[in-house]
Amino acid sequence: MARQPSILVVDDDPEMCALLVDVLRNENYDVIAVKDGTEAVLALRARSFDLILMDKNMPGPSGLDLLPGFRRVCPDSQVILMTAFGDVPSYMEAVEKGAAEYLFKPFRMEELRAAIAKALQIDAQSRP
Amino acid sequence: MRGQWMRAIGDRLRHNLTTRLIILLALALMVITGINDYTRLVREREQLVTQTREDERIFAETLALAVRYNLRRGRTTEELEGLLGEIVARPGLVAVVIYDPDAAVVARTLAPGSEASTPDELVRRSLAQREAVSSMADSPSGRILRYVQPFRWPGGRAGAIEVQQTLREMERQFRRAVRTTIISRLLVLALFVLSIVILTRWNIARPIRALIAAARAVGRGDLAQRIAVPRQDEIGELAAEFNRMAENLQAANAELVRQAEERLRLEQEVQQTQKLATVGMLAAEVAHEIGTPLNVISGRAEVLDRVVPRDHPERRNLDVILSQAERIKGIIRALLDYTRPRRPSLRPEPILPIIGRVASLLMDRSQRRGVRLHLELSIGLPSVMADPEHLQQVFLNLVLNALDVTEKGGTVRITSGPDPQLPPEGRSSILRGKADTATLAVHVIDEGKGLTAEELNHAFEPFFSTKGRGQGTGLGLPIAEEIVRGHRGEIEMLSIPGTGTEVIVRIPLADMSPVVATAKEEAVGDGR
Repeated sequence: MARQPSILVVDDDPEMCALLVDVLRNENYDVIAVKDGTEAVLALRARSFDLILMDKNMPGPSGLDLLPGFRRVCPDSQVILMTAFGDVPSYMEAVEKGAAEYLFKPFRMEELRAAIAKALQIDAQSRP
Repeated sequence: MRGQWMRAIGDRLRHNLTTRLIILLALALMVITGINDYTRLVREREQLVTQTREDERIFAETLALAVRYNLRRGRTTEELEGLLGEIVARPGLVAVVIYDPDAAVVARTLAPGSEASTPDELVRRSLAQREAVSSMADSPSGRILRYVQPFRWPGGRAGAIEVQQTLREMERQFRRAVRTTIISRLLVLALFVLSIVILTRWNIARPIRALIAAARAVGRGDLAQRIAVPRQDEIGELAAEFNRMAENLQAANAELVRQAEERLRLEQEVQQTQKLATVGMLAAEVAHEIGTPLNVISGRAEVLDRVVPRDHPERRNLDVILSQAERIKGIIRALLDYTRPRRPSLRPEPILPIIGRVASLLMDRSQRRGVRLHLELSIGLPSVMADPEHLQQVFLNLVLNALDVTEKGGTVRITSGPDPQLPPEGRSSILRGKADTATLAVHVIDEGKGLTAEELNHAFEPFFSTKGRGQGTGLGLPIAEEIVRGHRGEIEMLSIPGTGTEVIVRIPLADMSPVVATAKEEAVGDGR
């Protein structure tokens, strides 16, 4: 592991963003948090990320709306989508649109770590 | 009091067949036997009179012989009267009078209490013609039969003896005969009426009463009612026919009850599904709103959990926060699990029976609302990949909406075909879901007020409803959308304000989709 894996957190809830940043920085990830799709697009223009951790429900374009574009523009960035508990249709749509993992809020931090590890592993496999 | 009694009889005559029959028969019998008895009695009376007259004649002749003998022997009037006095003790004899040829009374004897008679025309006629004559006369002590018998008076001329006899005895006998006849007739009549009453009761009234009682019971709804009439006659036939009718009614009723129960069951199922869906929607909403803050709480607590040592004095506070956050999560999950519709089990299914069931379920409702429900679907429609129960719910919601917005006299059409039925002018539309295989499109078209483009945009949002408050749940379309998406289909809504609304449901065809469907099903299965 030459460099720290980079993660872009996209969530409109500042407390959720703060929590994710705190937890992931503590895990030695390179974390940047933005509050909506527009900021996310700007951030992705500036640099690339290994992983995008994105909320589904946001003002403006939703995580599901952004997902296909992100997959096209930066196919190397794995996407983990977060949404409300029990939102199975969104889950199916997210999987179809190429999300690597999916987290139902509220999730445990262990689940988050496991999902990130799994997503980055896919990333590693796809880049031999 | 008497009026009541009369009315009661009148009622009985009007309402009771047996009474009418009996009275008729009794009257007929009375007339026939009455005429018969009357003629018989008249004849009997004549015979009695003849008999009495004959008796009197013989008596008078005998008496005449005796008187003649005595006269010839030169007996005096006193002696003759003495002789007559002995004779007059004969029962019924009122008077015996002896006349000389000049019609003067020679001797006379009278029964006690009777009046003396004077020689009259009858006596003179008998003397003149020398013939016996008789006549009937009325007297205060009843009718009297007079008999005048001429006989040869000493000297060649004719004298006469008159015997008067009362008919009282005969009349008494006759009255007795009349009384006996009347009593016996009445007895016969009573016996006759009694036997007819018993016969009709037993043979007609009783079985007819049983029929009436059974018919009443059937009328009240007791269709298990049967009549036991082990007879071969018309009444037996009627009873058998009645029993057959009751049986058919019972069978038809049982079928109706079964159908009603089936319908009720379906409706309850639909209601239950809708209720669960409503709660499910609410739960989903709650889960969505609570998810993030709950995640922040539990996440922060987990962060602390990693750094606060097990024996820290404030450790308990942290543990409680962690466990309570977990508890809230459990509650939401249980609520969602309870209310979330089970995943559709997609299989090749013909669409017609599904829509047919919906149509039959809503036929009553459409009739009540005065809206025609018109199915324009061809028999040869291809099968779709569907869960019939879920798809039924979709069409139920759509047709319910259509019926509710269409005015009385309007039509709701269900049809199929690739293209929208509403004309393009002034039409706005919204499409939800995406079908990426060949589909079968089913259209539900109403003649309601239609929706504006703005309203259409909100149509699939939960709790959006153009119906009046309390009329719709506002969940019909979101649920339909969710189910159609679950079928990998799409749902499109087109509307022209003032013309109507058309909802098109596109469901993947059975023979095109198996590969895709299975692949996606597996993907879902893995992810869970």
